[in-house]
Order: sequence, then C-alpha cells, then structure tokens
Amino acid sequence: MPKKICDVIVIGTGAGGGMAIKTLCDAGLKVCALNAGRRADPEKDFRNHRMPWEMKYRSFGDPKRKEISYGYMDNEYTQDVWEHDVGFTTAPGTKWMWPRCNAVGGKTNFWGRSSARFGEIDFRAASLDGYDIDWPVTYDEIAPYYTRVEKMIGVASTVQNRPSNTDGSYLPPFHYRCIDRILEAGANKVGIPYLPDRIAQLTVEHEGHPACHFCGNCTTGCDVGAFFSTPWFFLPKAEASGNLELRTNAVAKNILVDENGRAAGVAYIDRKTKQEVEVYGRAVVVAASCVESARILLNSKSRQWPAGMANSSRQVGRNLCDHLYGQSASGYLPQLLGQPSFPDHVSDTTIAWMPRWQNLKNPHEENFIRGYSVYPDGGCTEFPWYADRVEGFGSSFKREMKRRYPAPVSFGVQAPSLPSATNYVDLDPEVKDPFGIPVARLHFQWDENVMKMWEHSKQTCADLLRAAGGEFESSADHPEMPGFSLHETGTCRMGNDPKHFVTNRFGQTHDVPNLYICDASVFLNCTDKTTTLSILAFTLRTCDHMVEKFRRGEHGSA
Amino acid sequence: MAGQGIERREVLRIMAMAAAAATFPGFSRWGFACGHVGNAATQIKPATYQPQFFSAKEYALVDCLADLIIPRDATPGARDAGVPEFIDFMVWSDPAIQYEFRTGLTWMNAQAERRGGKLFVELDSKAQIAMLEPLAYREKFRDGDEDGRAFFRLMREYTVMGFYTSEVGYKDLDNPALKFYAESPECPHKDDPEHRHLTPVNG
Repeated sequence: MPKKICDVIVIGTGAGGGMAIKTLCDAGLKVCALNAGRRADPEKDFRNHRMPWEMKYRSFGDPKRKEISYGYMDNEYTQDVWEHDVGFTTAPGTKWMWPRCNAVGGKTNFWGRSSARFGEIDFRAASLDGYDIDWPVTYDEIAPYYTRVEKMIGVASTVQNRPSNTDGSYLPPFHYRCIDRILEAGANKVGIPYLPDRIAQLTVEHEGHPACHFCGNCTTGCDVGAFFSTPWFFLPKAEASGNLELRTNAVAKNILVDENGRAAGVAYIDRKTKQEVEVYGRAVVVAASCVESARILLNSKSRQWPAGMANSSRQVGRNLCDHLYGQSASGYLPQLLGQPSFPDHVSDTTIAWMPRWQNLKNPHEENFIRGYSVYPDGGCTEFPWYADRVEGFGSSFKREMKRRYPAPVSFGVQAPSLPSATNYVDLDPEVKDPFGIPVARLHFQWDENVMKMWEHSKQTCADLLRAAGGEFESSADHPEMPGFSLHETGTCRMGNDPKHFVTNRFGQTHDVPNLYICDASVFLNCTDKTTTLSILAFTLRTCDHMVEKFRRGEHGSA
Repeated sequence: MAGQGIERREVLRIMAMAAAAATFPGFSRWGFACGHVGNAATQIKPATYQPQFFSAKEYALVDCLADLIIPRDATPGARDAGVPEFIDFMVWSDPAIQYEFRTGLTWMNAQAERRGGKLFVELDSKAQIAMLEPLAYREKFRDGDEDGRAFFRLMREYTVMGFYTSEVGYKDLDNPALKFYAESPECPHKDDPEHRHLTPVNG
C-alpha cells in the first residue's frame, strides 16, 4: 500500500498552528495537525463560572499539587490540560518556569488577550540604538496582515496615535472604571500615557462570535468563545472543510528527512500507547512555541543534518528572549475607600495600559535601550489579596476589609529582555522525557538592560500612584521568574543571511525549503508588546507564501 | 443570545453545586453556603462536624480563633461561612502546614494556661482578645512571641481564605462576581475624574 502523504503537517494548534491550519485548509490544502494533548471540553475543563465554594479546594487547588503546578493559570479552574509529563532541565544558575497547555488550542484557551501591533520602532530597533540587528520585515509589509488578523479575531481599543504603538482597526473599547479615571489623571500629571488596552475580547458580536458577557473569568477559558482562541475561531471551520485531520495526544518527536535532506514527515509518540507513529507530508510547519519548536528541530538529527534540522547556522535555540514581569508598585486609592463595590474585573485582566513612553524621541534618553509597557490593575477583585496589608482581627478588621475592597491598585511591568548569546535552549544530553525524547535544557538570565527597566518602572509607577493621590505601599522584591509571562521569543530567528538566521523573511527555513516555522521563534526580539497578535500576523504571511509555493508546484503536486 | 447564555450557565452552576455537595464529606455549612439549590438544603439540620485532621480539642480552638478573627456582628462571620471546616480540610490536605498548625495551637493553649490557668477557649472573650492583640498589632508586639505571631498570621491567612471564598464572604464584600453585567460597566463619576468628592458608604 502506498504511503498516505498529506500536503502539510502542522505541529501545534495554538496561535501559530491554528492560524496555519485555518489558512492552509482555506486554500484547499490537505492538512494533518498534531497536538500533544487531548481536546479540551469547555463545559468540563473550563470551570470558569463555578464559584470558589463550588470547588473542592475553593479555587486554591490541591496543596499537594503546588510543587508541580506551573504558574497562575494551571489552577483548579483549568486543571488537567497543562503539560506535566514532559519536563525540562535548567543549566546551573538558570531559573525558568514553562507553563504549557497541551490541550487543543494551546495557550490561546487562556491567554491574556492584550493585542498591540509591533511598530516600525520595534522592527528597526537595531538601526535606532545599535544593538543586534533589524527585522527583515518592515512595518508596512506586515501591516496588511495585522489588519486581516484584527478583522478575524476582533480587538477592542481606540486610535491612540502613539509612535510605538501603531493603530489598527478596533471594536468599541471597554469602558473606564473609577480606578482608570483616577490613575489617568495621575498619569497626565507625570507625563505618562494611560490609554485603553488593545484587548482581543468582543465588546460587540463579531464575525459570528457572541459578545462578551463580562463574567471576568477569561483566563480560566471562555465557554462561549467571546474572545479569540483557535478552538472557537479557527478549528471548527477547518474541520468542516474536510481538509483537516487533527491527531490528538501526538507528542512530536522529530521531523523525518528524505534523501535530499528535505522534510518528509513527522515522527510522533502516541501519548496513550507510547508507540511511535510516522506521518508524511509535502511540507512541515513547526508551531510548537519557542522552546518546544527548537527542541523538535534539535532532536531531528540525521546524516544530512547532524546538528539538527535547519541548523547549519547553529542558531536553532539561540537568542531566547522573554518578557520580564513583576509588580512594579502597589497600594491603594484613598478616594475609593468605603465606596460601594464595582465590577472592575469584567475583562479579568487589563482594561487600560501604559504603552511604552521611554526612548521614543531619542533611543538613548534613558540608561537602558528600547522600552517597556505597564499594565495597571486594581479595584474589586474576586479575592481580597490585600488582606495581609490590613492589620488586626475582629469586627474592625472585617470592616476595614470591606472599606478597602474597591481601592487597591497595582502595576505590572512588561519589559523585554535583549537577544544574547548566553540565553538559549539546547538538548539535555542525559535526560529524556517519559516518551524517550531528550528534553530541552534552558540557559537564561535577565540581562542588565531589562533589570534597569525593572528599577525604572518601580520608581515611575510609585510616582504615578502618588500623583494620582494614591498611597504607595510596596514594590515586589524581585521580578517574576523567567518564563512566567509565557511570552518567549527567538530560538529560530528570521533574517536574510542563512549563516546567521534559521528562517528567511517568510518563516521558511533557509536549509530546508519545505520546512516552515510559525510561532514567536522567528521573532528577532520580544518588544514591549505581547506576542499572540504578531504570531498570528506573521503566520498568516508565512502561510500565504507557502500556498503560493504550492500553487507554483515548488512543494510537489498537491 | 445573551439571555440564553446566562440561563445555561445557571443550569451548569446548579449541576456543579450538586456534584460538589455530593463529594464533600461533612461540609454541612458549605452546603448552606451554596445558594440557589432551593430550600431543601437549608432545611437539613447541620450535623456536628467531625474533624478529619484536628483533635476535638484542637478543632475547638480553631473554631474559636476563626470566630475572633472574623466574628458574626451585623453580618455573618467565619463560623457562618464554615471556615473552621475549611481549615480542617485544607490542613488535612496539606502535610506541609500540619506541623505549623499543630505546634501553633499548642503554643496558644500553653500561653493561655500560663497566663490564665485555662485552655484558650475557656477564657472569657476579653481575655482571649487581650491574648491575641500582641500577636496582631505591630505596636503591641512583644519579644519572645515570634512563634505565636507566625501562627496567628497563618491562622488569619486561612480564615481569610475560607471566609472570602465562601458565598457568605462574597456577600459581605458585595463581590461583583455574584452578578452578571449586560454591558462593560463604566465609572459613574465623570464630573469628578480624580474622585476627590465621593461620600463613603462602607466602614
């Protein structure tokens, strides 16, 4: 019997994989998608509308699982969809957390939804400040793809005319809350922009998807698909087209290679049977997220590719970047003490943001290069986290807890690390996962530049809070651990020179023309903005390019 | 669309509560806290709770401390919210904090006997409060009480966790998550952007 060969094998079903699947299926190509875990059932797996008292551990989770829990999203509301079998190791001195949702849709099931476009200032950062190298793509080239993506997913915001944050096409924004009005007034006094966030959450019905019902439980998954995720927005139509075969519990092991060194398919391990299975395709898309994508390529060693596939540059796994996250300042707004409670958390995370304001006029205004953004937050939360800041016990304590309920505020920084030779992923030579596949080993430290941003943000946010009439209480002692933000970039960077970059400007690997990378691995650096919108835009561009190659017969007959 | 969605969520919630009620052993007052189930639940007479982790003597002290930390006053308190049961369950579930709780409770009773010749729960409430104040207020801290302060902080943390994740606690704060909103809610004080002129209604 002849081998069944599909057109494209896509590894991963998150933002990049999902967009690749959609675009390729729409173009009539036969796609076989591999997902490392099972399908999530929103009604069973997303306990988003359960109140804490309806859950066994009141939302705090089984204390015995604390040790293995990855981050704030791997919790009692969304348990059983996070990767716990496939571990990783860290080099001495490296700390890293690596939350991975292995259910179909990946992290798009629970993402934070902030969706700003990168700007020309990001793509040309190296020309401006002399560090590293520019992206091989200009803003004008990618802008039409951003526009198409925004139309597909729906982003609520306003036109803001900021140099670092190019505007797109937006749904009506979320309304400002009391805390926003107060902080905005404070921000104006200290000369910092305070604006509606770009948030991929549907304030109105959009493209057949229902409007948000403002329950505020977004990061535990949406049960009606009122914000973008691939299982709600892309995969059902792709499956209905008849062009998609989705294989679940398929843990990608390596890319298969033909005698000419081209990609011939993918070998995966069936998570349930532990058996190795091979699938064959005319092209392969790796969209498993930065660390995992690099691991798959590095594990694809062959006679033709002794250092791993598409790695003649030795750059696979290199230049890993991440967003430094941390609480730059926190305190409360005395103006709101004793006010009635207010639904401040209908969008769960952020309604407003403070987009990069540093190094805009001159790339060397500050003692660091590039810039960071800040997400303000506060008001009435589900759980009164400020309790440890209220002294005492008894009726006076209870009264003060209620009085303070609408008033807390905090500021979370989003600061990009710089690409560097010392931050990278390789394979652990000793350790294998339960499926027999060598695990990734992380080498990562926050660089001096990003730590200066962290210090700068602490001072600025405290100043803003005081200018708003607020009481500053504390800044976090340390930023969060690397990996916390889930915004890693790099590891398969794109560039015109095959000696120094893994893929060309279309995400097609220089070495292997029928192998494409569709995730933030191809990004040159991680900017001050979140990654998902840009993963979607770059993947759309890569897939348009791939479809054209198929039309021209460059990937064999379809 | 929206109306149907809310109705379906309501069904889901009731189903989830039924499942929860079936699986939580002995949580009579948690059952109480689950509203919407109808009158049947509220008519069940609460059985005497059998602690899973604490001894009867320890549990009486946990119960007493939770009530002192968040008392029933104009509104329901920790006992009404089933906080002592929650703490017993969480400590039973978490070997990492069992030693700290057990030694802390022993410390409290040892102090009570040394100062008043009685177990803590047997002291009158004035004496109990007098014993807690040096553990709770910075300006009243005393040298030598470090272990006691650490335990009180732990006990208060778990009382707060239990109370503010109960329906009683949600109602106490008028937690906005108790309601659904048809629109993205908006600040109602547009004429006062800095909010300098609001009249407090709570506290």
